[in-house]
Amino acid sequence: MTVHALLEESGPAADMRGLLDEGAKREIRRAILIAVCVPGYQVPFGSREMPVARGWGSGGLQVTLGVIGAGDVLKVIDQGDDGGVNATNLRRLIAGAAGCEPTTDTRLATVVQTRHRVPEEALGRQQILVFQVPVPEPLRGVQKSVAECARMHAQADYSAMWVSLYEDLVRNGVITRSTGYPVLVNGRYVVATSPVPRWDVPRLHQSAHLNLYGAGREKRIYAIPPHTDVTPLTFSDVPFEVEHVPGARCAYCGSTDTFLVEAGGGYVCSDSDWCTRVSEADADVAGHREHAPLAWLPDPARRAARPAARDIDLPPRMAEPAGEDWILRVDGIGKVYGRGGGLAVGGTGPEFGTAVSPATGAIVAAWDVSFDVAPGEALGLIGESGSGKSTVLRCVVGDEPATAGSVHLATMNDGVTDLLGLDPAARRRLRVDTMAVVHQDPAAGLDLRVTAGGNIAERLTAAGWRSYHAIRRRAAQLLERVEVPLSRMDDPVGTFSGGMRQRVQIAKALATEPPVLLLDEPTTGLDASVAAGVLDLLRGLLAERNIAAVVVSHDFTVIEALADRSLVMQLGRVVESGLTDQLFNDPHHPYTQRLVAAARR
Amino acid sequence: MNSLVLSIRELHKTFTLHTIDGRTVRSLRGVDLDVAAGEHVAVAGPSGAGKSSLLRCVYRTYLPDSGSVVLHGATGPIELTALPDRDLARLRGREIGYVAQFLTAPPRTGPQAVVTAAAVRRGLSRPDASEAAAAALRSLGLDEALWDVDCGVLSGGERQRVNLAAGTVAPPRLLLLDEPVSALDPANRASALALISQLAGRGVAVLSVFHDLDAMRRLATRAVRMSEGRIVAEGPAEQIAGVTASRRGAASPGLRSEERATREGGASKAPQRRAGDRA
Repeated sequence: MTVHALLEESGPAADMRGLLDEGAKREIRRAILIAVCVPGYQVPFGSREMPVARGWGSGGLQVTLGVIGAGDVLKVIDQGDDGGVNATNLRRLIAGAAGCEPTTDTRLATVVQTRHRVPEEALGRQQILVFQVPVPEPLRGVQKSVAECARMHAQADYSAMWVSLYEDLVRNGVITRSTGYPVLVNGRYVVATSPVPRWDVPRLHQSAHLNLYGAGREKRIYAIPPHTDVTPLTFSDVPFEVEHVPGARCAYCGSTDTFLVEAGGGYVCSDSDWCTRVSEADADVAGHREHAPLAWLPDPARRAARPAARDIDLPPRMAEPAGEDWILRVDGIGKVYGRGGGLAVGGTGPEFGTAVSPATGAIVAAWDVSFDVAPGEALGLIGESGSGKSTVLRCVVGDEPATAGSVHLATMNDGVTDLLGLDPAARRRLRVDTMAVVHQDPAAGLDLRVTAGGNIAERLTAAGWRSYHAIRRRAAQLLERVEVPLSRMDDPVGTFSGGMRQRVQIAKALATEPPVLLLDEPTTGLDASVAAGVLDLLRGLLAERNIAAVVVSHDFTVIEALADRSLVMQLGRVVESGLTDQLFNDPHHPYTQRLVAAARR
Repeated sequence: MNSLVLSIRELHKTFTLHTIDGRTVRSLRGVDLDVAAGEHVAVAGPSGAGKSSLLRCVYRTYLPDSGSVVLHGATGPIELTALPDRDLARLRGREIGYVAQFLTAPPRTGPQAVVTAAAVRRGLSRPDASEAAAAALRSLGLDEALWDVDCGVLSGGERQRVNLAAGTVAPPRLLLLDEPVSALDPANRASALALISQLAGRGVAVLSVFHDLDAMRRLATRAVRMSEGRIVAEGPAEQIAGVTASRRGAASPGLRSEERATREGGASKAPQRRAGDRA
C-alpha cells in the first residue's frame, strides 16, 4: 500500500490550527533568525508542549510550524522514509494545522522535516530542511556540565572534542563515530549534525538550502544557512571518510551512490522517495552522482599520509646564559574573601596574628604580594598551609579573581598588558602556550578517563596542532622525557599511580614549551621516594630548559631543591624574601626561623 | 701588587634568635680585609671567632647587618651586600666559589653531575664542563666508579673532595674555602693542597679558613687572626700560625662568657644539612 493510498484512506486531518499560537510562532521565528545570523550557535527558545512526546520530533515540529504557511508544500521523512508511522503522523498533523499541501516528492516540497537524513535529491535555494534533533549539544559526550559546555562554545575551546577523536583513533585505528559527526560551522561553532550519517555531512557544506535544527527537549534551535562552510573535525593527516560497503547496491533500484542500509540480507536505499523515482526512471541520476560524497570514500592510502613537517618537533627551550630581565612580574597581588575588599585589610597580617578582618570579618587570604621571575630562574613561595601562597598562584593564573594588584608577562605586549584585565578566553590561551600550571592533585590538571597521550593531545590541539601523527610523536617524546613508559601511553591516566599521574601532568604542562611554569605543591600528594623522583625530574627540566618557574610549597626540601630565590609567607603577607640558602642559613623573621627549625628535624 | 678582588669594610653581623626570647649573638664586629688576585689569605682564630661567618657574609649565605663587601669583577666593583638577590645568584655561579666544610649537593646527584653543573655555571659549554669536571675529580683522586653515585652515600672525605672539585673547577675570580681538607687522609690531603696551591698562580683570590695550621703555612700568602668577631692580627702566614698555635692551649679551657655566646652564635654553624640527610 503506498503512502498516497494511506493518506486517502485516513481522510482529512482534524482541524488543528491552534497547535501553536501566533505569539509562539513569532518567538520561534525570532530564534530562527538569530540562529541564521550566527551559524551553528544554539539559540534557546521556549519549547512548547506538542501533541507528540518529547524525543519524537517535538523540536522539529515547532520549527516547521514556525516557518510553514498555507502555500507551502510539506514533506516529512524518518531515516529517509516517507512511509514510517512517525513521518506519516507528523505530516498529517502539520499539514492539517497549517493547511498546506503534503507531498513525498522532494522536488516539490518547500519544507522538508527530517529525522536522521538529508534527502538524496539535492535541495535548492527555495527549500528548507528541518531536522529533528535529539541531542543538540555536540560536547555532551565529552563534558557533562552544561555551564562548561557553554563556556567551551563561547571561547571556541574545542580541544576536548579533538581529544575524543584522538582517543577514537588510538583505540580503533579509524574514527568510528558514525552518526552526528561533529562539524565546524562557518569556522566558529562546533555543531552536532543531528544524527545524520557521515554520508550526509559533506552535503551540508555550502548547501543551497537552509538547514534548521530544532531540539524540543533541550529547547534549542540552531541553523546552517545556505552557502556556509561546514567542515568535519578531522586531523590533517587522517582524512574524513563516509560510510561505504564495497560492492553494495540497492536491492530495489540498483543504486550504488546513495546511503544504503541493511535490509533482509541485502542493502536498500535509505531514501524511499529517491529509490522509487530511480526505479521509475524519474530521477536525475547523473546530477545526483555529482553531489554524492564519493570523494570521501574510505581510502587506506590516504590514511597513511604523513604529517606536515611544520607541525612536528618543537625544539625545547634550551637553557641559555641567563641575563634577561623578568618574564613574569606580579605587583601587589591581594585577595580578600568576604566584604570590604581592600578596606578590610587593616588589622590583619602577621603583626596582628590574624587573617580575619576585625572590621568586616572578611578573610584576607593574601595582600601586597609582589615578585618577578626571570627566564631560567625558579622562585619559591613557602609558608604553612593557609598562609596564602596557593591563593597568590591562583590569582596569578586567573582561577581566582584578585582583589588588588596586577600581573604582567614580558612576552605580552612588551609587558604592558595587565593579565588580570584580560577576558577569560585570552587567559585560557595564555595558560595553553605561555603559563602552564602543575597542580598538587593530578586530577585537577588531567582528565583521568583519557589516556596519557590524549591528555597531552588536549594541550596540543588547544594550541592548534592538527596532525594526528605529529601529536602522537610529540606526546611520546614528552612522556619519554618524564620517564613514563611508552607502553602506558594509550592507557587511561586513571589507571596510573600517583607519581606517574604527576609525571603525565608535568609532560602536559611542558607540551607547548611554555616560558613560564607554575608549580603548586608538585610533590605534596606523593610518598617520599616517588616525590623524590618527581623532584629530580623537575630539577632536571628547569635546568635544561630556559623556563621561569614559580614553586609553591610548604616543604623546605622542595623549595631548596628547585628555587634559587624564595618568599616566605605568613597570614597572607610576605614576611621575608631572599636567596633560598640565605633564608635557610640566616633566617631573620621569627616565622622563618620557626619554619627552618621545623625543617631541620 | 696584583689588582684587588675583594675588599671588606666595617662588616657587622648579629644573629637574633627569635625562638629563644629574641637573644642576640654578635658574630662579626667590624671586619676590614682586602684580598688581591693571586693572593691566598687565611683566616685563623679560635672556634667561634667569626671565621666562617665572615666567609658566609661574603658569599651572602648570611646577610650582613652593615658594612660593605665589594667584589671587583670583570665589569667593575660590585657591592655584594646590596646586590639584588637574582643578580647575586648569577654572580655566585660565575665569579664566586664557596667550598664549605660539608657538601651541599642537590639530592640524588652524582659527583660528576655536581662538578659539571658548577663548571657550566662558570660559563663552560657542556662538553668542556664535563671534561673539566673529569679532570678535577681525577686530580683529587676520586675513584671513577663513584662518579655517578649519589653524593649522599659517599664518605665524608669523598664528599669533601667533590665539594673542592666543584669549587675549583674552571676557577672563579674569588674562592672561599671553609675547612676544605678537614676530612681527608694524608695522601688525599696532599693532592687537595696541591690543587689549591695552583689556584693562586692562576690569579684566583682565595680567602680560607684552616684549622690545619700546617696547611695554612703551606698555602697562605698572608694570614689574619680573628677573635670575638674582629681581626686582631695580620701578617705572614708563618707568624700568625705560630701565634695561633701558642694561643690554642691557653685560650681553650676558660672562654669568657661573651666569647662563648659568640660560639653559640655559630648555632648557624651547626652542621649544615647534607645531601644524605634528606629522606
